[in-house]
Amino acid sequence: MPNAPAPNLFSDYSLGTAYDEMFDSAKQPRAHYRPLFERLSKLSPEEFARRKAMTDLSMRQDGVGFTVYRAEEGIERVWPMDPVPRIIPADEWSVIERGLAQRLTAINLFLKDLYQDQKILADKVIDPALIYGGGFFRREFVGADVPKGIYVHVCGTDLIRDTDGRYLVLEDNARTPSGVSYMLHNRQVLKRVFPQIFDGYDVRSNDDYPAHLLDVLRYIAPPGRPEPTVVLLSPGMYNSAYFEHSYLAQRMGVELVEGRDLVIDQNRVWMRTTRGLQAVDVIYRRIDDDFLDPLAFRPDSLLGVPGLVNVYRAGNVALANGIGTGIADDKGIYPFIPAVIKYYLGQDAILPNVETFRPMVPVHMSHILANLDKLVVKTVNESGGYGMLIGPASTAAQREEFAAKVRAHPRDFIAQPTISLSTHPTFVDGKALEGRHLDLRPFVLCGEKITVVPGGLTRVALPRGSLVVNSSQGGGSKDTWVLA
Amino acid sequence: MLSRVADCLFWMSRYLERAESVARLLNATFHRDLDLAATDAGDDNRAWLGNLAILQQTVPDGLASPHAIASWLTFELANPGSIIGCVNRARNNARGIRGTVGPEVWRAINALYWQLRDADFESRARHSPFDYYQAVETGCHLFQGVCDATLPHDEGWQFIALGRSLERADKTLRLLAVKWTELNGLTDDSLKALEWGGVLKSANAFEAYQRAAGRVEPDKVIEFLLLDTNFPRAVRFSLEEAGRALSAIDGFTDGRSNGRAERQLGRLLSDLKYTEPGHLVTAGFHDRLHALLQQCIGLGRTIHDQYMLTT
Repeated sequence: MPNAPAPNLFSDYSLGTAYDEMFDSAKQPRAHYRPLFERLSKLSPEEFARRKAMTDLSMRQDGVGFTVYRAEEGIERVWPMDPVPRIIPADEWSVIERGLAQRLTAINLFLKDLYQDQKILADKVIDPALIYGGGFFRREFVGADVPKGIYVHVCGTDLIRDTDGRYLVLEDNARTPSGVSYMLHNRQVLKRVFPQIFDGYDVRSNDDYPAHLLDVLRYIAPPGRPEPTVVLLSPGMYNSAYFEHSYLAQRMGVELVEGRDLVIDQNRVWMRTTRGLQAVDVIYRRIDDDFLDPLAFRPDSLLGVPGLVNVYRAGNVALANGIGTGIADDKGIYPFIPAVIKYYLGQDAILPNVETFRPMVPVHMSHILANLDKLVVKTVNESGGYGMLIGPASTAAQREEFAAKVRAHPRDFIAQPTISLSTHPTFVDGKALEGRHLDLRPFVLCGEKITVVPGGLTRVALPRGSLVVNSSQGGGSKDTWVLA
Repeated sequence: MLSRVADCLFWMSRYLERAESVARLLNATFHRDLDLAATDAGDDNRAWLGNLAILQQTVPDGLASPHAIASWLTFELANPGSIIGCVNRARNNARGIRGTVGPEVWRAINALYWQLRDADFESRARHSPFDYYQAVETGCHLFQGVCDATLPHDEGWQFIALGRSLERADKTLRLLAVKWTELNGLTDDSLKALEWGGVLKSANAFEAYQRAAGRVEPDKVIEFLLLDTNFPRAVRFSLEEAGRALSAIDGFTDGRSNGRAERQLGRLLSDLKYTEPGHLVTAGFHDRLHALLQQCIGLGRTIHDQYMLTT
C-alpha cells in the first residue's frame, strides 16, 4: 500500500489577495518565517490541537479574561490566544520604532500647543472648529501646566499592512490604551506550552515594559517628592480591562486603587489604608476623562474621585495620561497627524496614514456617499469596533442608515478604503492553519525619553474573512516576536 | 495597605475556609448516614437539618430530603452559603485584589472554581460526592499553602491568617452549639460514640482526638474542640492564632489601632484559658456556648470597624 502523506497543518493553506505575513506570493515561506514553518510542518494537527488546548487552559486558570459589553454572555470570557507567533524582522521593526517615536513626539507637541499657544490653529493648519467641535477638547485646561510638559505618556498605535506589505497607521490610542498585559502574558504562556518553537530565533524580550512604565510615572511626579507614591486607578473588577490593571499594578509593585479608595483633603490626594490616610503623588489612571471627577466632568460618575481635577491643576498630583489627550486620537483629527508631524518636526511621517475621507469636505462627502459599498465608515468618537460600517460586508439598509447619519453629522464620521489587512497562519476549527487577518498595536512610552518596547499586541480576526480584530467582536491574539 | 485590600484578603481567606468546613461537614454527614443505614436513626433527616442550623440556613422551599439539602449546600451558586457559593465569593474577593496578591494565589482559587464548575465533575459528584468534597479540601489546603509559601508574611498575610482563624473558631462553636442540643438526649452508648465521632470528623479532629483522649465520649469531645491548645480547629487554638495575627497587624500599623479588637479577644481567650478542666459541661453550658459565639461575632465587627472602615 502506498504511503499517503501524513496530514500537515499547512495542507490546505491558501493565499488570498491580502499580504501574507508568512508566505510570499509564490507560497514560499519568507526567510524570517522559515525555521517556524519547518517546525510546524513536522507537527501533526492532533499534536498542535493539544498545545492549543494547553494554551486555553492556561489562559482560563490565569483568569486572562475581559468583559464583553452589549452581550448576554455573562461577564467573563477568556481572550483566545493563537499559538502561532507573528514575527517581525529587525529591519522592519527599526522603521516602526522610529515612526512611532516621531509620531508620539509630534502628538505631545501638538497637545502642548493646543492647550497653550494654539499656534497651529493660528497658522490655519487645522480648522479650530474641528478641535472645539470634537468633544475631546478640554477648554478648562487651556493655559494649565502639566508635569514635564508631557500629555500622552502611554500611547498604543494600531498598525496594519496593505497588500504591498506597507505598514500604515490605522489609529492612535492616546487616552487609556489597553492590551499591553496581553502582549506580556502571551509571551509567558507561549514559552510554557511551546518552548521548542523559540529554537533558531533570537526573540527580543518585552518583559521590562512594566519597569519602563514605572520609570515614566516616577519621572512625572510633582517636584520635591523624591520617593513618589504611584498608584494605578481602575474602575474596578467589572471593567473589561481589569485583568490588565491588576497585572500592571502587580508587575510595577504599586497599589491598584479604585475611586472609593481615594479621598481629597487639603488639596492633596490620599488613599485610605489600614494605617490611616497615605499621600498619593502619581496616578496612572485607567478611567476616561469623563468619569475621573464628578465635580469637574460627569456628575453621575461613581468611579472617579471628587475634587481630583482641582488637585491636578494645582500640580499636587500627576496624572498619566493627562486630561484632554482624546483630541489627539479623535478620528476626526487623525487625518491631520501627518501635517502635525510636518508642522512641529519639519519631517515627513515615517509611517503613513490610511487614506481618509472627511464628510466635512464637500468633495469627500460626495465620494463617500457614492462609494459606501466599498468604504469603511467609522464614528469618530467610538472605539472597540462599535459604530462602524464595513461597506463590502454591509446591507443596503445599513448603508442607507449610515448615509443619513453622515449627512446629518459630518463631523462625527470618517471613511477609509477597505484595506485588506495582512493575513497570518492561524489555527482554526481545531484541525488546520488558515490565513486570518490581523493588526499590530505596539506600545509607546514617553517620559524622560521615548521608549518603544519591542513587540506589541497582535490581534487576529478569527472568523474567516473578517477584518474586525477587536476582542469584543470575536478577535483573538498572538504572541508578537521582534527579532534581534 | 489599602483598607479595601485588607477587607478582601480577610474575606477571601474566610470564605474559602468556610467552603472547606461545609465540605467536611457534609462529607461527615454522608458517612454517618451510611453507617446508620441499617438502623432507624439513619432514615430521618435530623442530621441534615442540623447542618442547615450550623450554617445558619433555613430549609429551602420544599427541599427537606437529605439529598435536596446536600445539593442546596453543595452545588447551588445562588446560595451564598453553599460550597460553590463560598468559593465564588472567595474568588470575587481575590479578583478585587489581583493587583496585590501574587498570580499563584489567584490561580489556586481560580483553578478550584473552574474545577468545581466543570459540568462533568459536578454530575459525577451528584452521584458520588466524595471526590467533590475531597477536591474542595485539597483546593483550600493548596490555597493556604500557596499563601504561606509565596506571599511575604506581612500585614496582608496576617489578614489572611486572621480571616482563617476567626472562621475556624466560629464554625467549631456553631458545630458544638447545634450538636450539643441535637445529641444531648441520646442514651445508646454506641450511637453516642458514632454521632460524636461524626462531630470530630466534621472538624477534621477524629485522629487528633483519639491520640489525645482515646475513646469518644461527649464531654471529652467538647472539651477537646473547645479548649485544646494544639489542634488547629479547636476554638482556643484558633483564637490564639487570631490574637497573634492581630498583634502583628497592630505592629505593622504603627499603633494606629486603639487595640479594641485585641482587648476584646483577650477577654474571650481568658474565659477559655481559665476554665477548670473536667467542669466544662455543666447546667449552663448551652448559654455559655452561645455567649462565646456572640463574642466571636462581636470581634469580627470590631475588626471591620477598626481596620476596614478608614475615613
